[in-house]
Amino acid sequence: MTITKIDSPEIMMSQVSMCYKTNSTEVLALKEVTVNIQKGEFVSLLGPSGCGKTTLLRIMADLLQPTSGEITISGGTAKEARLARKYGIVFQSPVLYDWRKVKKNITLPLEMIGLQKEEREERAERLLELIGLSKFKDQYPWQLSGGMQQRVAIARALAIEPEILLMDEPFSALDEFSRERLNEELLSIWSKVGSTVVFVTHSIPEAVFLSDRVFVLSPHPGRLSKVVNIPLPRPRREEMRNSPEFYQLISDIRQSFEGV
Amino acid sequence: MKWQVYRSRWVPTIMLVIGLLFLWEFLSWLLLTLDVPLAQSKVPYIHELVITFTQYSGTLFSEGSVTLANASLGFLLGAVGGIVLAILMSLTKWLEQLAFPYAVASQMIPILGLAPIVYGIFRDEQLARILIAAYTTFFPVTLNMLRGLRSAEPSSLELMYSYAAKKWTIYTRLRFPQALPSLFTGLKIAAPLAVTGAILVELMGATKGLGVLMLRNLYYGPSHNYMFWLTVLFAAFLGIVSYFIVTVIERIVTPWQPEFRKSGGDK
Repeated sequence: MTITKIDSPEIMMSQVSMCYKTNSTEVLALKEVTVNIQKGEFVSLLGPSGCGKTTLLRIMADLLQPTSGEITISGGTAKEARLARKYGIVFQSPVLYDWRKVKKNITLPLEMIGLQKEEREERAERLLELIGLSKFKDQYPWQLSGGMQQRVAIARALAIEPEILLMDEPFSALDEFSRERLNEELLSIWSKVGSTVVFVTHSIPEAVFLSDRVFVLSPHPGRLSKVVNIPLPRPRREEMRNSPEFYQLISDIRQSFEGV
Repeated sequence: MKWQVYRSRWVPTIMLVIGLLFLWEFLSWLLLTLDVPLAQSKVPYIHELVITFTQYSGTLFSEGSVTLANASLGFLLGAVGGIVLAILMSLTKWLEQLAFPYAVASQMIPILGLAPIVYGIFRDEQLARILIAAYTTFFPVTLNMLRGLRSAEPSSLELMYSYAAKKWTIYTRLRFPQALPSLFTGLKIAAPLAVTGAILVELMGATKGLGVLMLRNLYYGPSHNYMFWLTVLFAAFLGIVSYFIVTVIERIVTPWQPEFRKSGGDK
């Protein structure tokens, strides 16, 4: 019942800094980062390791509190967004629970929000179909390949039908072929659910292929160095990876790293 | 194909057991012919043991079941106590700091000394046996359960955090199932200990049980030598059975554990 202005962004971060203190040293992981992400947008946080992209995502997820700066997620604080279960999160590793079969892993968040059993089952079946793993619903996670496990993790994140999907290098542990196939699958899923996606990656082609906008971060200290619009048409197809526009965007982004 | 696999696995084992039995028989014969004093008390003939067993198996089973029943009751009591203590310790740090040194210290008291004290206090052989069995059980269970409850990975916990899960939900959905493999490790150590504990109290003075049988046959000297050996072996057998029962339950409760996976895991 909240009234939101049409053009107010879903995620707003202004002047966010993050400082890790160890015994003797202080590491500035993020320095005054300001980003605005629109509702329904697919954005990537791109950069080399140490640029603070994962830190930025974890601040959005309320898994970390920034040292300074402000963050607003659909009109409230990050904590309110977490408590209201406004986001689903996918980690670098699938983080599936070993003792739960595939379907039960997907229904886990639905048990949390107190959904009835029939409704849980129904949603899980639908999601299993969406990720193409209906046949595997009664298997244990270890019986699945790494790519399949990560698909289950995505389905689990989508189960609560979140407004925001936070993804922390979800495909980085996979081989190039699985990764490209899952990129396309992710886009097809996203076109159906339409949530806002924040996708952390260190792969330039992955960021370009997936995103509406790419936030380029640079390290030491982590800061936002550039925002690149990706005007490639949707739906995006595998062939686009060979188009000159795709290559041009990749080389533009790569150049922005050479200065640092 | 399958039969060959089984055969290749079982044949060496069976051969080894048969070989050992023959070696034992030979050793027994050797000691007797060399006129070693109390030869049969040292290495008794296996065939004599088998004969004695066929004659007295009824006694062994009836006394053994008394011991096992008391050990089981004590085991259950100790396991439940251990689990509850572990949960409380995992919930509150100060309770762990308070209770843990005492739990460790309690294990330093020799059961041989504790048993007559407990018996002296309660004056009830049944209750004393159950309590000692519980006492030997609770520590390995507490220790392993506590470690299991703490073994949840940070990312698994973060997932719960992202769901805004309540503390109790984190226990039921994550920490308890995660702790099960560890708990079973503790139970597997504890089960035979409970049997040993129960027998020990029986040695202190009881009217029924394997310990009584053992002691009586020891007193009667060489004439009851085979029976004494049988009770010792039967006590060991009960320990193995108790371990085996826990293993079977573990397989049913936690079929997802890596060691129970049929095919590697890579697929």
